[in-house]
Amino acid sequence: MHKKLMYICLMYSNELIKGTLKTIVLSLLVKKGRMYGYEITQHVKEETDGKIQLTEGALYPLLHRLEADGLLETEKENIGKRVRKYYRLTENGNNQATSLAAEFHEFSQTMNRLLNNFSLKPSYNV
Amino acid sequence: MSELNEQQVALISAYIKQYGIAQNELHDDLLDHVCTSIENQMDEGKSFEAAFEQTIKLFGPGGLKQVQQQTFELLTEMNENMKKVAFSFGLTSTILLLAGTIFKLMHWPGAAVLIVLGAGSLAFVYLPLLLWHKLKESPSDESLMHISGFVGLTLTTIGVLFKIMHWPGASVTLMSGMGILAALYVPLFYFKKYKTSANKSITLSTGLVAMTCLILVFGLMSVRSSSEMNRGLALVSDQLASSNANFQNLDELYNQADESDKLVSLRKRVSQIVTEIEKLKTTLIAQSEGISLDQAQKIEMRFVNSRWSFDIPTHVLFDKSTTDEVLNIYELGELVSQFEIQMLEMYPSNMQKAISNLFPIKQDSTYEIDGEKVDWAIYHFHHVPLIGVVSELSSIELAVRNAELQVLLYTISQSAVSESPSGDQGASEAQSL
Repeated sequence: MHKKLMYICLMYSNELIKGTLKTIVLSLLVKKGRMYGYEITQHVKEETDGKIQLTEGALYPLLHRLEADGLLETEKENIGKRVRKYYRLTENGNNQATSLAAEFHEFSQTMNRLLNNFSLKPSYNV
Repeated sequence: MSELNEQQVALISAYIKQYGIAQNELHDDLLDHVCTSIENQMDEGKSFEAAFEQTIKLFGPGGLKQVQQQTFELLTEMNENMKKVAFSFGLTSTILLLAGTIFKLMHWPGAAVLIVLGAGSLAFVYLPLLLWHKLKESPSDESLMHISGFVGLTLTTIGVLFKIMHWPGASVTLMSGMGILAALYVPLFYFKKYKTSANKSITLSTGLVAMTCLILVFGLMSVRSSSEMNRGLALVSDQLASSNANFQNLDELYNQADESDKLVSLRKRVSQIVTEIEKLKTTLIAQSEGISLDQAQKIEMRFVNSRWSFDIPTHVLFDKSTTDEVLNIYELGELVSQFEIQMLEMYPSNMQKAISNLFPIKQDSTYEIDGEKVDWAIYHFHHVPLIGVVSELSSIELAVRNAELQVLLYTISQSAVSESPSGDQGASEAQSL
């Protein structure tokens, strides 16, 4: 129950999103340069028409982990009375983002082919 | 675009902290996130309160706490090998310590090896790994807490090991380990909990309870055994020592005996042993207690604070370099053996075996400690606390004195029998009958 709500998404199952979260965040940063946490959640929501909604519970742990792994670096800016942390890719992170995106692309193609074959099967019976 | 005022930001910050977000970095992230979300919703016409509520709802049932939990888990994931190493060392040391303790209780051989290995892998592999992991997973302002916990636990483990193995320095190590735990780790731990806790009074009171428990353990360690038993043992020791005083004056009896060369040299031997033992006892007490020889001579065992420590007694009795002024235990044993030979020579050969059996100091017997064969000196004196060592020495003195008295009485009675034909009144009367 808890885990399910960690990644609120309106269309896709939790298992599906979980493995791709890192890919989503890194790819987004490749495109946008630097982003802060809230911006990432909003952007994903808009780009996917609300089909994927990242939650804080999923996003921030991931961001911190990626930073610790040296894939991201942060810069802080004062916004009024609070600090805003922008995340950007390191060189290492950039490489990782590219390879993750390529991997996912290939994976989805393979899945497509596989599932298309399955969906053709019933047609023999018709 | 609406912007939250200072108070509103402070309120949200307090809310986040209240839910246990101790990590500064994460706090900053979440604060900005919540504020931005609220501002955006307020732009759409919502009130601050409604927007706040709506934003918090998005955190899900686990709330903020779960965000932090999740972060910790992701940040601190050990790699698979590290996990295996840490797990196997933790398991191994637990099994070794458990087996060692059982062996020790059952007096089976090999207990010492198991305990040393178990405590060693706990203190030198598992705890460092744990420290490394803790330092990595928590913010840097908590590192003092983790380091103090590590040092305290390591010292305590080593102290317990030394204590079980009767190695010198156990008490100091154990005390400093527990001292660090009580003075640094526990306060820091509960201070951290207190800062972030929702119910401060409960945290405060559990912290106090933890401190009290540690202090109680301290207290129990220094008491060690019940005061009644303690007093009883001290009395026995003092009693043994004072029994020897009864032998101070055997002059009268010696006057009645024939002053044969053998008897004179036996008497000299006894007085040598008595002098050496008294000197040894006084030195042991003086060094253990850190007082002068004069004071040590007069003090009664129940007033000696260090009566339960064995470090110095074992050092004095067994370490050759310190025994310039006093005999070590083997030299004393040698003197007692010579006395026994001389003493037996005073009896006719048909009595010697029986008398020898009666002499209570049996240096040739074999003794066992936990299944290990040890000699007489180790059995009676090695790692024996001061009170035991002094009592043993007193009882040796007493045994020698008793044997001396018996020789003396025997000699007198023998000479009375042999003299009787040549003029002893009672004897001649008996003869005339």
